[in-house]
Amino acid sequence: MTRLKLALRLLRRDWRAGELNVLTAALVIAVAAVSAIGLFSDRMERALSGQTAELVGADLRLASPQPVAAEWLVAARDRNLRVAETLRFPSVVVHGEGLQLASVEAVGAGYPLRGELRTAKVLYGPETVAPGPPAVGIAWVEPRIMQALSIVPGAVIEIGVASFRVERLLTYQPGRGGSFFTLAPRVLIALGDVPRTEVIQPGSRVVYEYQFAGNANALAAYRQWLTPQLAPNHRLQGIGDGDSGAGRALKRANRYLGLTSLLAVILAGVAVAMATRRYGERHYDTAALLRCFGVSQGGVLGLLVPQFLLLGLIAGAIGCLLGWLTQAGIAQLLTGLLPATLPSPGPMPILFAFAAGLLLLAGFALPPLLRLKSIAPLRVLRRDMVPLSPPVLMVYGAGLLAITVLTLRFTGDWLITVSVLAGAGVAALALGLLALALLNVVRRLRSGVGVAWRYGFNNLWRRGRGSLTQLLAFGLALMAMAVIALLRSDLLASWQTELPPDTPNHFAFNILPADVGPLKDYFAARAIPSSGLYPMVRGRLTHINDKPVTRPVTKDDDADESLRRELNLSWSATLPPDNRLTAGPWWDAASGGGVSVETQLAERLGINLADRLTFSIGGQPLTATVASLREVQWDSFHPNFYMIFPPGALDDYPATWLTSFFLAPQQKPLLNDIVRNFPAVTVLEVDQVLGQLRAILQQVGAAVELVLLFVLAAGFVVLFAALASSLDQRIYEGALLRSLGASRRQLRSAQLAEFLLLGLLAGLLAAIGTEIIAYLLYTQAFELEYRFKWQVWLAAPLLGALLIGLAGVIGTRSVLQRSPSGILREL
Amino acid sequence: MVSAAGLCKQVVTSEGMLDILSDVTLEIKAGESVAIVGVSGSGKSTLLGLLAGLDTPSRGSVTLAGQRLELLDEDGRAAVRAGRVGFVFQAFQLLAGMTAQENVMLPLELAGVTDAGARARELLDRVGLGDRVGHYPRQLSGGEQQRVAIARAFAGGPEILFADEPTGNLDSATGARIIEILFELNRERRTTLILVTHDEALAPRCDRRIQLDGGRIVNVARVSS
Ligand SMILES: Nc1ncnc2c1ncn2[C@@H]1O[C@H](COP(=O)(O)OP(=O)(O)OP(=O)(O)O)[C@@H](O)[C@H]1O
Ligand SMILES: [Mg+2]
Repeated sequence: MTRLKLALRLLRRDWRAGELNVLTAALVIAVAAVSAIGLFSDRMERALSGQTAELVGADLRLASPQPVAAEWLVAARDRNLRVAETLRFPSVVVHGEGLQLASVEAVGAGYPLRGELRTAKVLYGPETVAPGPPAVGIAWVEPRIMQALSIVPGAVIEIGVASFRVERLLTYQPGRGGSFFTLAPRVLIALGDVPRTEVIQPGSRVVYEYQFAGNANALAAYRQWLTPQLAPNHRLQGIGDGDSGAGRALKRANRYLGLTSLLAVILAGVAVAMATRRYGERHYDTAALLRCFGVSQGGVLGLLVPQFLLLGLIAGAIGCLLGWLTQAGIAQLLTGLLPATLPSPGPMPILFAFAAGLLLLAGFALPPLLRLKSIAPLRVLRRDMVPLSPPVLMVYGAGLLAITVLTLRFTGDWLITVSVLAGAGVAALALGLLALALLNVVRRLRSGVGVAWRYGFNNLWRRGRGSLTQLLAFGLALMAMAVIALLRSDLLASWQTELPPDTPNHFAFNILPADVGPLKDYFAARAIPSSGLYPMVRGRLTHINDKPVTRPVTKDDDADESLRRELNLSWSATLPPDNRLTAGPWWDAASGGGVSVETQLAERLGINLADRLTFSIGGQPLTATVASLREVQWDSFHPNFYMIFPPGALDDYPATWLTSFFLAPQQKPLLNDIVRNFPAVTVLEVDQVLGQLRAILQQVGAAVELVLLFVLAAGFVVLFAALASSLDQRIYEGALLRSLGASRRQLRSAQLAEFLLLGLLAGLLAAIGTEIIAYLLYTQAFELEYRFKWQVWLAAPLLGALLIGLAGVIGTRSVLQRSPSGILREL
Repeated sequence: MVSAAGLCKQVVTSEGMLDILSDVTLEIKAGESVAIVGVSGSGKSTLLGLLAGLDTPSRGSVTLAGQRLELLDEDGRAAVRAGRVGFVFQAFQLLAGMTAQENVMLPLELAGVTDAGARARELLDRVGLGDRVGHYPRQLSGGEQQRVAIARAFAGGPEILFADEPTGNLDSATGARIIEILFELNRERRTTLILVTHDEALAPRCDRRIQLDGGRIVNVARVSS
């Protein structure tokens, strides 16, 4: 107990003497970075999955061809989940003489669980949010039905044997953004109206969909409970299971956030290691004296470890607080951008950040501390005695273990972790050798400069290992900053180009061949950007190499079994702009026939080049060999196709055309005009979906900006730790030189020379490292195009020289300010 | 109190084995004061380190406070020293981050003494530094620093005090004053004193004088006072 008290007293004395500043700063920044990034991405993840849930309409959806056991829904309600029941069936909607095939959707109370239904009184009129599903006897219909049946609101339509009054136009329904090609126009009615229609008979094509929403843990538990009981014809889908439009951007953003907090932690680790090393060196005397006073080796540790533990706890608490404040502040700053009520973060990121701080301390501070216990008490008589270095494995092993655990947490994958660490190890070794070579070059260059500068250059070589360590630390810090800054701007740029401002926000399909020319002219006359008109023929894939296809072809779970083998077939003489060939050549006039298949579909169905595919189009068979495979960027908002044929191959089949186009908000009234001019054409608005995607990207961009700051801060702490590591020796040498008659000016130039050179070399090292690491990250982790970063080669050495030169001269001011006699007396 | 038998210390250097200490046998009784003298490099500090258990001999044995040191490990030897032994060194070995008072308090705090602060203050008063308790070593002169070191050495109430050239870094007047304080406290507290010095003038103030040369005892003289 008294020992513990003494430990605390010693800690207070060290704290007062400023011995712990760098260490504390490094720890605080590491914990703050990890907690802020963790908290912020936790909140964003919650918000984004909330938003995605709004797009989808629920957190979890269960589709089934028959009603499911009642206890399944009871079990969900027991877990405090909200439940909504829906029922979907195709049916003909009748108005007078007019018939239209529609997808009828009957929704129960509580629908939609996430997001909202929006309706309008007139076609393309102002939207209002519906408080709930339609009342009994009421139908809300999609504009396409109004167009097809030429009705206005108030008209009465029949579904089965029941009549419904068409009250409003359904303009937005969560979860129906995507698969518009296969869908018949929708009619929304109340679930209670279904029996009245008498449409549902045994054997009817019906999809029962149960939707769930609620607390993430409860959902996970429910999912776990439900999954084993599902039959093959049940389909359970949570958010994030499928490809959301922003999926790629989010994946990259998550990687970026993970990478930056990892880098911040590694940098902090380096700073902690350097600071503790210095702490250790400055406490040899204390340890030796304690041993003289009869304290055992364990006793020395018993005095030191609690000090560091307490420091870790305090720094951790401050770091967590700082992290929390930072993410709260950023969320505040972004109030315009973020959803009005950002969910509050969970406790896990805080706990993890706290643990990360302690782990960092254990990994990087313990080895130098353990070294102190083995100091020989004889040091009090013979000053030159320093403790034996602990085995290399222990010094680096502990730190490596700490970094491994953290990396594993960020990547969540052993293989990636191991390859990242192995890569980093090789890179560190290579950079070390390079640094040594650079120092060697400097040694040869030193002639031809003034005395003071020569002395400065000389010092760099003379300090040997110390310089090497500093060079590597500076280089690492600069490199981390450069990589993160580069990645940041390229990520932001890539998101900007991902959804350029004129991204098509409307689709038009059902364009009859006769309308193709006039529609093109119409767009041209009004300068409406469109992605071009594509022909489309619907067909089913029946055989691959004469074997029947039994698996569903598309991922579209709204469709029934036969529809799920329906594909959009198109033809084109040229490769569409969003497509990239992955195998086989694109056809030219000479090479003739075949079909080009989308790669993901090909993978799913096991289709290879030169396979024979048989389609059934309107009952007629068509056979083609696979000529090429294409990668398609599905979220580009341009029309895209699984199967593309050469021109002429589909001429015998009925085709309609489709296109997507961009309308600025003020051009919105043109929609009515389009529909009037081209009555057969159906227009689908996707500007809502697009807007939501943009908001998501903006949030992600904000987070990316935020985390950059932490890496910069951690980088600066490393700079300071590295500077401090040679401070004692510099002070001593400076005093000695001055007592030997060197002027302050000479000393200052010598120091400036040393630091400038150190910064220049570190910058060079950082440029080389950045080029390699950025290349690997861009191509392997972020799927970004990599271009040679010439700016880095200029900026890193210059900035390095400037930054380190400046910091070095300021940091070692004390070397010049204090009187030599005072300094020498202390030693 | 302290005894050594056939003590040898060899070190390996680039020119082969070097005997720093050969066959040293001596016995020092409780309360006795002994001066170990000899020219620079004769092995005085080495002997002191061995007697205090700070180092291990190549051969021979040391008994400190009834314990055979060579039979103990590092921690065992430390335990023998704990609360029993005080040190004054040539390089004063004050901790730079602590004030004078805190430096003196350290051994008291290790022993779990509750009023360490007050007792340290008292001792600093005793060595004439009552008004400098809050000063850091760098704010004190060499002689003042050594007085703090003496206060610290006596703080734990040691049975044996090892002093290695306590005046080596000081001018003769200051040195004399330091020695005065040292002997005064020693007399007062009946501490066994082992004083290494090359200052022949100090030897007569001790009960006994042991002269080393080339690592061997060449002369043991009882000093009549
Ligand atoms: N570990 C060692 N390695 C090599 N030589 C050593 C070692 N320890 C002591 N010596 C040598 O042993 C001899 C005795 O050293 P010691 O410090 O005991 O001398 P000393 O009598 O205290 O001298 P001084 O009066 O100068 O302090 C010296 O020549 C010293 O160089
Ligand atoms: Mg000596």
